[in-house]
Amino acid sequence: MDDQKQYARLFNEFDSQTLVILGVILASTVLLIIASQRGLSWLANRLHGQVRFRVFALVPLTRLLILITALAIAVPIVIEPSLRNMVTLLGALGLAIGFALKDYVSSLIAGVVSAVELPYRPGDWVKIEDTYGEVKHVGMRTVEILTPDDDLVAVPHLKLWDSAIYNANNGGTSLQCVASFYLHPEHEAGWVRTALRDVALTSAYLKFDKPIIVVAEEKPWGTHYRIRAFPVDPRQQFLFITDLTVRGKQVLSAAGVTPALLPPDAALDSREAAHQ
Amino acid sequence: MAQRSTKSAFSPWEVVALELFKTPEQTQASQWRRSWRTATTWIVGKEASERQAKQESELRKLPEVALSHWVPPIDWAPASHAFGKVTEDNTDAPLVLFISPPHGGHGAVVSRWAQQQGVNCIPPPTLKELTEGCLEWVEHCSHQRQWAIPTLERHFLRHTQGLQGVRELLERALSGRLGQGVIGCDSWTYAYLQHAVGLEGVPVVTLQALEGEQLAYYFAQLADSSVYPTVYSSRTGQSILADASNDTADSERSYKELQRLAAHCRGHLGIAWHYWRERLREPADNGDKGRPRQRSQEKSQGKSQGKSQGKSQGKSQGKSKELWLLDALAEAELALDTGDVPTLLLHALLIHGGLEDQALQYVLPFSNHEALNARLALARQGILNCHQGRWQVDPLSYSGVRQLLESRRYLVDPL
Repeated sequence: MDDQKQYARLFNEFDSQTLVILGVILASTVLLIIASQRGLSWLANRLHGQVRFRVFALVPLTRLLILITALAIAVPIVIEPSLRNMVTLLGALGLAIGFALKDYVSSLIAGVVSAVELPYRPGDWVKIEDTYGEVKHVGMRTVEILTPDDDLVAVPHLKLWDSAIYNANNGGTSLQCVASFYLHPEHEAGWVRTALRDVALTSAYLKFDKPIIVVAEEKPWGTHYRIRAFPVDPRQQFLFITDLTVRGKQVLSAAGVTPALLPPDAALDSREAAHQ
Repeated sequence: MAQRSTKSAFSPWEVVALELFKTPEQTQASQWRRSWRTATTWIVGKEASERQAKQESELRKLPEVALSHWVPPIDWAPASHAFGKVTEDNTDAPLVLFISPPHGGHGAVVSRWAQQQGVNCIPPPTLKELTEGCLEWVEHCSHQRQWAIPTLERHFLRHTQGLQGVRELLERALSGRLGQGVIGCDSWTYAYLQHAVGLEGVPVVTLQALEGEQLAYYFAQLADSSVYPTVYSSRTGQSILADASNDTADSERSYKELQRLAAHCRGHLGIAWHYWRERLREPADNGDKGRPRQRSQEKSQGKSQGKSQGKSQGKSQGKSKELWLLDALAEAELALDTGDVPTLLLHALLIHGGLEDQALQYVLPFSNHEALNARLALARQGILNCHQGRWQVDPLSYSGVRQLLESRRYLVDPL
């Protein structure tokens, strides 16, 4: 009987008014989260440059703040927030999490960490394991990434603990692009280097306050050139690489520079190198 | 602003080194105002976005004859004269660059200077020569003690072949192999070539930006006749010009409306002149209706302003003509969500100081059809106009376009 009384004291008495208040808190929290997420995403999608990324970064932070506020209001209504009660409650929660919901709760906690540490935020271009694309939404449990092939991939925040997160622009507008050219070894390397630099300099997408670097690397089958440059907006990266590739090929072809014909094993090597 | 003693102190023809160029006061505020206006126009509509003391419907455009009398074309001769003095100070430099923003008169200034000095001007290459990387036109500069290029933007193309000629020219000129050269260049072209070719160490000069007070004196002296009509602002209802017959500056007088215009135009006379010409109106009922309303508004103005304005107004009472200047900011505006294609087109046009339709395909990364479509849409919005077969950003849209490109982190000019 005493135990029952103690448990009854752990939770406050619920009457209809309390239930209505809890319902209102829950509904307001959900509505506020939806409104803030959609409103901020709508606004950010209409902005450009650094401001866009700042607004996007507010999306998970706002949700976290709303959730903490809702919990701070709701918990004292449900339980008496004494030390003994909290220890009992947290102990029970710990057991449940430890046995049944470990991964789920781990993702939720990683979601909170991601909102604070910002390893990715909406608008960033990230690579997590084999998935590369633009972060569209940072949810409580997962991060949604839109790949260039238009697939929306939901990656659990859990990956934060043990996977490398490659962030290509890290909340900024600078994202380096690489256009590769594989040339036959018989050519004038100095001229090719200047020509490829001019190809980048004459691209309409080029961001001028970042360097243009032409890297040449000798391979058994020929020479591998890479133009490393930055587009004005990270969203232009594929158009930028295409522009560099198309015009680069035109210039090289007009000058009689022939492409290398790669043996199959060299092709595999070069694919790996291109990803580096 | 510091008090100045004579009218000559308000001369708009001060040629300064690029590092000394300073945009007018309130330029940043003007940019914020423009952003705010775009946002409010988007939310509440164009009509309700800002109240006007005089509605546009009560005014009408001036006939062409009156415009050519009250707003004659800018005479760039004084600028050319001031530039001549700068070149005399730089006789040891193999190359001197005079830059100005679009519609800023660098071509006229350098042409006139070359004419005065008897210096040969190098004609621009054709589009075909540019796309083939032809260097023959560079040879025209050889074997001459002095030569001039009034509009360098017509001597290059943002294209792998189109850069070869200008690169060769600048390399030869900077090494001193071509005698002494004077180049007039669009400020956007200069910004681009600085990255693409490199222009470090070349003396670069430009016209200093004008403040509102200088504009007030310039416009007051613009007409051929000695008495200029009183010009009121349609936004505030106040008289906005300086008293040109008064030889001393009136320190109590403020030129808020023209300071606003100067800030909006970043102090560039060429662009301010276009605003003045395009936004000048006369009352639709020959001026009797608007005046009492304006006078009652002026009565309520502060004492310090009223005192100085009273002087000029007393003189203007004898004049039969009154003109109104429409709000400078109410020009063709670019939408906040302007897409990539029109943005890239506008940037390309600014970098080249305008382009013919045939040249668009060489400088833009999309098909000719897409480029022409975008060009047509922008022309219909009044953002582009055609001058001598070249499409260029309209002077009244220039400030908005520049701000858009800057906000999206495209390369912009240094002026």
